[in-house]
Amino acid sequence: MKDKLGKLCDQMRQKELRIPVDLTVGVVFFLVGLAVMLLMPSQVAISERDVVNGRAFPELLMTLMMICCAALVAKEIVKLVRKQPLEYKTVNLLVEVKALIILAILVITYILCRTTDLFVVGAVFCALAFLIYFRCKKPLYYVITVGLAVGIWAAFRFLLNVRF
Amino acid sequence: MLQHIVPASGLLFTLQNILWINIGVFIGAVFAAIPGLTVILCVILFLPVTYSMSAIPGMMFLLGIYCAGGYGGSVSAILINTPGTPHAAATMLDGHPLSKMGRTKAALKIALYASTFGGIFSALALLFLGPQVAKLAAQLGTAECFMVCVFGLTIIAGVSGKSMVRGIIAACLGLLISCIGSDPMTSYDRFTFGINRLYLGLDLAVCLIGLFALVEIVSRAEQKPGELHMDTAKMHDNGVITKDEYKRLARPTILGSLIGVMVGIIPGTGASEASWFSYSQAKNMSRHKEEFGKGSVEGIAAAESANNAVTGATLIPLLTLGIPGDGTVAIMLSALMINGLNPGLSLFTTQGDIMYAIMLGLILVNLFMLIQGKLLTPIFAKVVSIPQEILTPIIVIFCFAGAYSVNKNYFDVGVALVFCVLAWVLRKLDMPPVPILLGLVLGKMTETNFRRALLISDGSPKIFFSSVYCWIFIGLIVLAVGTILRGKLKDRKAAAAKEET
Repeated sequence: MKDKLGKLCDQMRQKELRIPVDLTVGVVFFLVGLAVMLLMPSQVAISERDVVNGRAFPELLMTLMMICCAALVAKEIVKLVRKQPLEYKTVNLLVEVKALIILAILVITYILCRTTDLFVVGAVFCALAFLIYFRCKKPLYYVITVGLAVGIWAAFRFLLNVRF
Repeated sequence: MLQHIVPASGLLFTLQNILWINIGVFIGAVFAAIPGLTVILCVILFLPVTYSMSAIPGMMFLLGIYCAGGYGGSVSAILINTPGTPHAAATMLDGHPLSKMGRTKAALKIALYASTFGGIFSALALLFLGPQVAKLAAQLGTAECFMVCVFGLTIIAGVSGKSMVRGIIAACLGLLISCIGSDPMTSYDRFTFGINRLYLGLDLAVCLIGLFALVEIVSRAEQKPGELHMDTAKMHDNGVITKDEYKRLARPTILGSLIGVMVGIIPGTGASEASWFSYSQAKNMSRHKEEFGKGSVEGIAAAESANNAVTGATLIPLLTLGIPGDGTVAIMLSALMINGLNPGLSLFTTQGDIMYAIMLGLILVNLFMLIQGKLLTPIFAKVVSIPQEILTPIIVIFCFAGAYSVNKNYFDVGVALVFCVLAWVLRKLDMPPVPILLGLVLGKMTETNFRRALLISDGSPKIFFSSVYCWIFIGLIVLAVGTILRGKLKDRKAAAAKEET
């Protein structure tokens, strides 16, 4: 099991994805800007009498954002035509999987806190989950971390009077 | 000024304020001493604590964190050759070599003295320059105030990342997020998607917990197992600094303080730029150039005095114009505004006593930093080696507890998680988070001034070009953009030339 996991990790470590940064940012945020513009009539109510209504500022922002995005995309297209190198960002698959695991720990902690309405349950889970994630084998660390987790909850609950 | 000093002293010298200053200084030094934990992260985590406080203790607590963070970063830089905060990188160049020479305590002492001097120098600059700049700011109307916001946002967007355009996109995103909730002028809801809790908008502290704190936890995925533990240098020396060394320290410390103040006043620049600039200037002016990089006492003093001299100077544009000098003070702006303290001349006239208490408090913060540094440095040094396995879940628990306690509901914790995912995606796309922070902080102010100006001019954009001050700010924006672009082009050319060779 350990060997299989090790092999899988090695395979993932070698897999890398190269993202053309400016091109991706340009396209993604242009679409975001467009989506906000399209959503604006349903999301921002205005009065006919207003000289400057609540849409003016977000519209200005999205226009600026879309202009910047268009400039980025145009710059990258020119580079492609001239066969100049684009700016890439390398994303490692293993790092992303690890990030997803950490994110999963955070989400489960949140769900535990919310469903049980007991913050301490989520806090203890979080402490244990991270120690397991870091493959910690020292029992003392488990005692210290869980103790601190309960301590933080107690401090907020009884000293700062935060009821959770 | 004098009429405010006496009542301000009365407001400042209370047991509660002294206590909060010391708690802030201790937390700031401890946080900054741990590599990977930044001052901004610390201020974000503890911002919700200040929500229940009045202006002076709240600001004293945050300023304690901010100033002590400047010194705390140098502890790990000296002990383990890893800067606790980015601005301690220059200190590391000479701090760690001096420590390796068996003079760890001396190196820490020099860093502490230089930090304190820089901090007090900067606090005095704030005390004397702040009210003068505020008088100037009082002459600005709504159109000019909008231009000031644009100026601040442009500079931050320009200097925060590798690409200025990406910075502007990030700033737009931050400003857009600040639009969520009720319209500040008509109270109609905007971008709430039928979620009632969004009507009051997103709380800044909650957004920042996701954007800066939780994303740091997710970024632990990039850490290799070997980076989890660090060996610290031992402190066996008696920490004696000779008379000759004290003489040598004077010039770089004063120079560093001056540079720190000048750099700190410019929005968008920060302690890192100041410490590197000061370090290089001190090296150029030193009679012992050969010692730099090998444990020079002058190098440590120059870097440390400069990065702490930034602290008070960054508050000058913040308190007078509402433009935060860096990301950390941007968060402090929200702490001020919660207490009804809006930047500008009115802050110095109607709330003069409070303002002067805060400015005088900054001097006090630095003095307590000196005392704590002298007494508690061995503790700060031990903190450096706290294992990441213990630290990581504790930070998460603090983040969750902090996000929950803002409005006492789990909805905010969910919002913080959403912002964490957003920050992670932005990080993958090399998008700087600081312009988003500034957009969030300045959003309401920018929009309100923009719309008020247009209302005054009956919808005509000519109002933004109608006064001398508007043209001055337009000129400054053009100048800043030009300078930033020129610098970036130079960097790119240098990088290309390096690749070729």
